[in-house]
Amino acid sequence: MKPLLRQSAALLALALLPALVEAFYLRDKVPWQSRVADSQFVEVATARSWGDNALWIDARPTDEFERDHVPGAVSLNEDRWSEGLAQFMGTQWTPQKKIVVYCSAASCNLAEDVARRLREEAKLPNEIRILKGGWEAWQQK
Amino acid sequence: MAAKVVWRAIAVLIGGLFVYAGAVKIIDPVEFARDIDNYKMLPWQPSVWLALYLPWLEILCGLALITRILFRGAVFIVTGLMIVFIVASIVAKARGLDVSCGCFGHASQHLNFTWHLVLDFLLLGGLLLLWRRPLTAR
Repeated sequence: MKPLLRQSAALLALALLPALVEAFYLRDKVPWQSRVADSQFVEVATARSWGDNALWIDARPTDEFERDHVPGAVSLNEDRWSEGLAQFMGTQWTPQKKIVVYCSAASCNLAEDVARRLREEAKLPNEIRILKGGWEAWQQK
Repeated sequence: MAAKVVWRAIAVLIGGLFVYAGAVKIIDPVEFARDIDNYKMLPWQPSVWLALYLPWLEILCGLALITRILFRGAVFIVTGLMIVFIVASIVAKARGLDVSCGCFGHASQHLNFTWHLVLDFLLLGGLLLLWRRPLTAR
């Protein structure tokens, strides 16, 4: 039993060293405080006040989008990314407008993933925000 | 002799899988932190630290299984990790969370829940075999 615990402790301790080095190396690139910075969110009231200056993207699964969605929103989710992105770029996108991405509620991460892909993969220059509280918050206001 | 060969093959296979699983996650620890966070079991900060630590632990344990250095400790840790992965996956599913396990980075994001569990239980079965080391094996 003792060698087993000793060996396990050795492995657990050894793994700590490269992890600490990596943490130090990536210290400026890792979002330590929260998964998404507060500055990336937008309140429902603010997003509504943008009116025609905002483009809305619904990141929920397509069936939920088809049941109901924010007026004028386009469905763009991970399951049909290429098709949805092409549709969005072809019909609605302009570089001047803000983009608001939402999913079902505060606990979902789909909007965050879509917003990140729009920035990093599609390389859109727009101001891209995530709707705080998602579709649930939109319905309550 | 045959038992020893099978035993070694299982150890190398599982070790190789863990080295691969750790290596693909080291490339993007923030992505792995998001995968951990998706399970909604830990606050964000511990998820980040775990995302930085776990891949290295997987690699070291994988190498230990392949090289047979600190072998028993590696089998013990990897078995523990597998049990935690399986329980976390089942709990997440029961809570209605549709999460990518993140086990093999982006390579596993399209692995559905059933296949994820099948793979996990196969690995766990292999690990349980490794606990019963053949007498001829060192």
